[in-house]
Amino acid sequence: MSTRTEVNISSPTPPDLPRQSIGQRLQGLGGNARQYGIFGALIVIVLLFQVLTDGKLLLANNVAALFQQNAYVMILAIGMVMVIVAGHIDLSVGSVVAFVGGVVAVSMRDFDLSWPVAVLLGIAIGGVVGAWQGFWVAYVGIPAFIVTLAGMLVFRGLALVVVGETVAGLPSSFIAISKGSLPNVLGFASNMDVVTLLIGALAVAAIVISQLRARASLRKHDLHVEAAGLFVAKLALIAVGIGILTVILSFSAGGTPIVLVVVGVLVVAYSFLMGRTVFGRHIYAIGGNRLAAGLSGVNTRRVDFWIFVNMGLLAGVAAIVTTARAGAAIAAAGQNFELDAIAACFIGGAAVTGGIGRISGAIIGALIMGVLNMGLSIMSVDPAWQMAIKGLVLLLAVAFDLLNKRRAGTQ
Amino acid sequence: MVERTRTPLLTMRGITKRYKAVEALVDVNFEVHAHEVVALVGDNGAGKSTLAKVVAGVVVPDSGLVEIDGEPVSIPSPKAAQRLGVATVFQDLALCDNLDVTANLFLGREMRNAGVMQDGRMENIARSVLRDLSSRIPSVRTPLSHLSAGQRQSVAIARTLLGSPRIVVLDEPTAALSVAHTAEVLTHIERLREMGLGVILISHNMNDVRAVSDRIEVLRHGRNNGSFDAQRSSYEEIIGAITGAWQMAPASRASAPADREAAGR
Ligand SMILES: Nc1ncnc2c1ncn2[C@@H]1O[C@H](COP(=O)(O)OP(=O)(O)OP(=O)(O)O)[C@@H](O)[C@H]1O
Ligand SMILES: [Mg+2]
Repeated sequence: MSTRTEVNISSPTPPDLPRQSIGQRLQGLGGNARQYGIFGALIVIVLLFQVLTDGKLLLANNVAALFQQNAYVMILAIGMVMVIVAGHIDLSVGSVVAFVGGVVAVSMRDFDLSWPVAVLLGIAIGGVVGAWQGFWVAYVGIPAFIVTLAGMLVFRGLALVVVGETVAGLPSSFIAISKGSLPNVLGFASNMDVVTLLIGALAVAAIVISQLRARASLRKHDLHVEAAGLFVAKLALIAVGIGILTVILSFSAGGTPIVLVVVGVLVVAYSFLMGRTVFGRHIYAIGGNRLAAGLSGVNTRRVDFWIFVNMGLLAGVAAIVTTARAGAAIAAAGQNFELDAIAACFIGGAAVTGGIGRISGAIIGALIMGVLNMGLSIMSVDPAWQMAIKGLVLLLAVAFDLLNKRRAGTQ
Repeated sequence: MVERTRTPLLTMRGITKRYKAVEALVDVNFEVHAHEVVALVGDNGAGKSTLAKVVAGVVVPDSGLVEIDGEPVSIPSPKAAQRLGVATVFQDLALCDNLDVTANLFLGREMRNAGVMQDGRMENIARSVLRDLSSRIPSVRTPLSHLSAGQRQSVAIARTLLGSPRIVVLDEPTAALSVAHTAEVLTHIERLREMGLGVILISHNMNDVRAVSDRIEVLRHGRNNGSFDAQRSSYEEIIGAITGAWQMAPASRASAPADREAAGR
């Protein structure tokens, strides 16, 4: 320890600056290395399948389809990572998707609701379902595993009741939510959709500005910042990555898929919620040490309740995306969605024990699964083998993470 | 010594708490005045932490009366205790390993502006509070899992400096600390007294207790077993009360089975 022996606490000692920055550096590296690792894995998998599929993976229409096919996983993974960080699990989301999808479809076909009203109704019902499950978890104290296992059966049953088998004949404007793209109102610049290019440019600008501001704030509080060169390289890499994605998408049949905008907005909003608001802080606290959070005055029950309400709302959004994509409500829809979402979270670095996990990680996890799906499909690998391969990827991703952690000696 | 106000800051009367067959607290009376450090001592399992948890709103007693400033209060939750001006350092510290130092200090009372946490402001305050305790914490952004036992204890104690409490409960705050750091914490306790707070200090270390407290209350098998003036009573007297060699007036011990004497050495 220190050599200082003074015991007079009223003589303030300046903080030990050099040592502070070393500690910060190690810690910063640890935190970021994990995040970079997941991101690196995504890049490697993309490049691998780009080669294996003879360049078909990154064809413009395939990239657009990648987002359209996997939007539901990303939406569910956002809610699921919050559930998992708090130390819970939700097995019911697939059934809830089928149930809410059924209600939305029936409300439009049989009750002539306009599609925007039906969409709001669907999200609201998702919220009510979440409140129902949150009540049992938070206020009765039944483990979420049990409550949502029951929910999985209950809402699958209700989906069958509401839907029968299928409810088809949905309005085309509703179907466009999943199949449509933003209108290319700005025309084309040498075959590239200008709207898409604009969105890409705005996204890059927003990321650069927010990173610069974060860095300035670290500076202001005398905290360690990464070396300027590394920082610029990181920003350049992000800009190039988004740039390539944007250009590819702008060549696709429709330009920017609407669901990509939906997912983008949700990612930004929920990253903010988890990182900058008291609610997010309390979710991490509960996952880290539920007892301590309670003793510190965190209303753990209320937080648990709202986590499940939120999961329900997002399941409602996923239900709309799924139903619109299928063009019909199907009683069997959403099968295994809970497993996709949970896998995305764990591949994305969430801890099984709770307390650790990020929205961005879960999204990257979902993309890894999505790229695997698409790549293997393009290579026309048997779906049975696809499933087995995805299972192994999940196992290896978590094992790799764990080994890394042990070697770093943080646990 | 500072003159005591007539109404105690905290009064507890006839506090009883049972866990099934275990009598954690039986008819316990307890008082703390402003400008006073009261030590709460007793053998392992005597009920000290349970009494601390009653004050902290973690344990609701089966019966008994709690008054703050002479006003009867109920403390049903830690949040309620916070609102009544009670700050507690729990024996098991109650910290979140996955959060950093600042987040732990402000847990449950985050500063916010229009719903957004004011991270910069909280970090600045965290830094100055930790500097006051001259704690050797590398940085306010270090996750708790990276800290030593003593550093974690500093964070827990620093929490009592936030939110300007009136009553501070410290359940074995120096258990993991070096000699020098223990001295710092004791000085900190004395400063809390000077500021006019009431301090409850739970400790097994008689030297610490006698160094800093005004009054020593002994608990034994969940019952009051003597109250001592810290300056005038001898070490042997207090140890006697803790181990049961010294007993309080028989009337108040009537319900204690005789075989407890043997069990408590
Ligand atoms: N949650 C609980 N459930 C059941 N029994 C409990 C609980 N909490 C405390 N007890 C019992 O109450 C008694 C008093 O415990 P308490 O923690 O208050 O002792 P203590 O004086 O703080 O001991 P120590 O010096 O070891 O910290 C013990 O017999 C203990 O077993
Ligand atoms: Mg104790």
